[in-house]
Amino acid sequence: MGSFIRLAIRQMDVQFRMRVLSLWSLGLYYIQPAIFSAVGMLLSRAAGNSSPDLVYTVVGAGMMGMWSGLVFTSTYDIRTDRREGTLEIIVGSPTSLRRVEGLRTLLNILAGLSSLVVAVLAAVLIFDYSFANVNIAGTILALLLILLGLWCMGVFLANFLAWSRVSGTVVDLMEMPMAILCGFMFPISVLPGWLQKVSGIFPIRWALEGMRDAMNGTPLAQPLIIKLLISLGLSIAFLLLARWFDGKVHDHIRVTGELHSI
Amino acid sequence: MIRRMVYLARLYLFQAWFSYRSLYAWSTPFSYLTSKFGFPFFSMIFFYFIGRFVGIADPAYIIIGNVLLMPSINGIYGISMTVGNERQFGAMSYLLGSPAPRAPLFLGRSLFHVLDGFLTVSVALPIALLVFKMSLAEVNLFLLVFCLLLLSITTTGIGFIMGTISLISRDGWMFTNTFGQLLFILIGVNFPVAQLPAFLQPISSALPLTRGILAARMVLAGVGWTDVGGLLIGEVLIGMVYILIGYVTFHLVERASMNTGSLDSI
Repeated sequence: MGSFIRLAIRQMDVQFRMRVLSLWSLGLYYIQPAIFSAVGMLLSRAAGNSSPDLVYTVVGAGMMGMWSGLVFTSTYDIRTDRREGTLEIIVGSPTSLRRVEGLRTLLNILAGLSSLVVAVLAAVLIFDYSFANVNIAGTILALLLILLGLWCMGVFLANFLAWSRVSGTVVDLMEMPMAILCGFMFPISVLPGWLQKVSGIFPIRWALEGMRDAMNGTPLAQPLIIKLLISLGLSIAFLLLARWFDGKVHDHIRVTGELHSI
Repeated sequence: MIRRMVYLARLYLFQAWFSYRSLYAWSTPFSYLTSKFGFPFFSMIFFYFIGRFVGIADPAYIIIGNVLLMPSINGIYGISMTVGNERQFGAMSYLLGSPAPRAPLFLGRSLFHVLDGFLTVSVALPIALLVFKMSLAEVNLFLLVFCLLLLSITTTGIGFIMGTISLISRDGWMFTNTFGQLLFILIGVNFPVAQLPAFLQPISSALPLTRGILAARMVLAGVGWTDVGGLLIGEVLIGMVYILIGYVTFHLVERASMNTGSLDSI
């Protein structure tokens, strides 16, 4: 246990320094969400609305920052390892890649959380968002499930990068489709029916819906709890899938010895 | 004289082809298609759904605007990569040490991106019009093609400037990316420029693409040369200014690197 804590602290320390010292992270966590939030606000203004829906336009943009941050940090970490020749060392070391990647992803998500915090602060300080009607317990519970969902998806996606370099392109491509499918800046009901069904497999979608309901004052009763439970169940499913996939990827790269050449 | 002209033309085309092939950093058709269409396509859909949610009367406005922005993927991101990747791939020292004239070396990097950007928007726009059942019956097609070609050319100025920034900063890509995304706000892609706060409207006027996109929208609405002539002349002038700024800053950066010997080591 002591060695795990030491590993966790060291891994997260390195990750934190890499995130803090990178302008790229600044762009992902704060600038890009701010730009998307501004587009949402100006579209709302162009539509003749007196004020934008803060939960979707501002908090949703913070959610985008968290997701984009996760996609481009957890997966790019593997790419960087591959490019710098440290991927083989990590895979060959007694500490599993799964554990290293799990810790990295955890720090990346916590760093991404700052995007959501900044978005909420902007909503409160600039746009006078009030917490008067917010179901605080429900919101916090939903937020924890969002973090869990993101972590499970991050760990799952990271395997693709270890498996194949081409899959990195596909993972990059997922940034915006996930923002659409999970309704980061608009309600899912805006999507066509078939897309709503597709979005049902992602835990973030349910937890985010739950968080919005809670922020709009929905009590922690059956409809909200069901959404949160679905999110929890799907997160666990992604985690199990990640573990299974992780084993497959490890077997594949050890048998073929193709870790660096793929 | 003729020999010199042939030499310059050859250098221009040689640079154009090889920089496009090797520095645009795509290795397979799949990665080419995803890097070119992935983010622009899905961000367009994303903005479309935001527009529907907030109650925009004509969401097709968003789609058309984002399609007209597509040449910027080549013009801004592509050219920025072809200039900036010289350093990342370790070829910068050889380029700077070469006695070849700089204008064809530098400007050659845009040729295939202009053609690629033009082809992209020429294919994507009719598809978008078809999806939204917009008629081309009243449209002056020659004028529309001219607008699309102009957009593909004027966007390159920003690419040259961003490429030069990539030469002097390791975070150049972040600046390029941020600038590219600011275009979603500033140049009338998702909503009319008039909807911008007053302090942003002069910035919008000073950017390439603003007039070109407006002109293309007007041509799609059926107007002719006389109504969009002023906008097109303005677009040409702004585009030339940006290309010139890109070229001059490249020269300045090159000269500074000769003095300090630092360009390849930052």
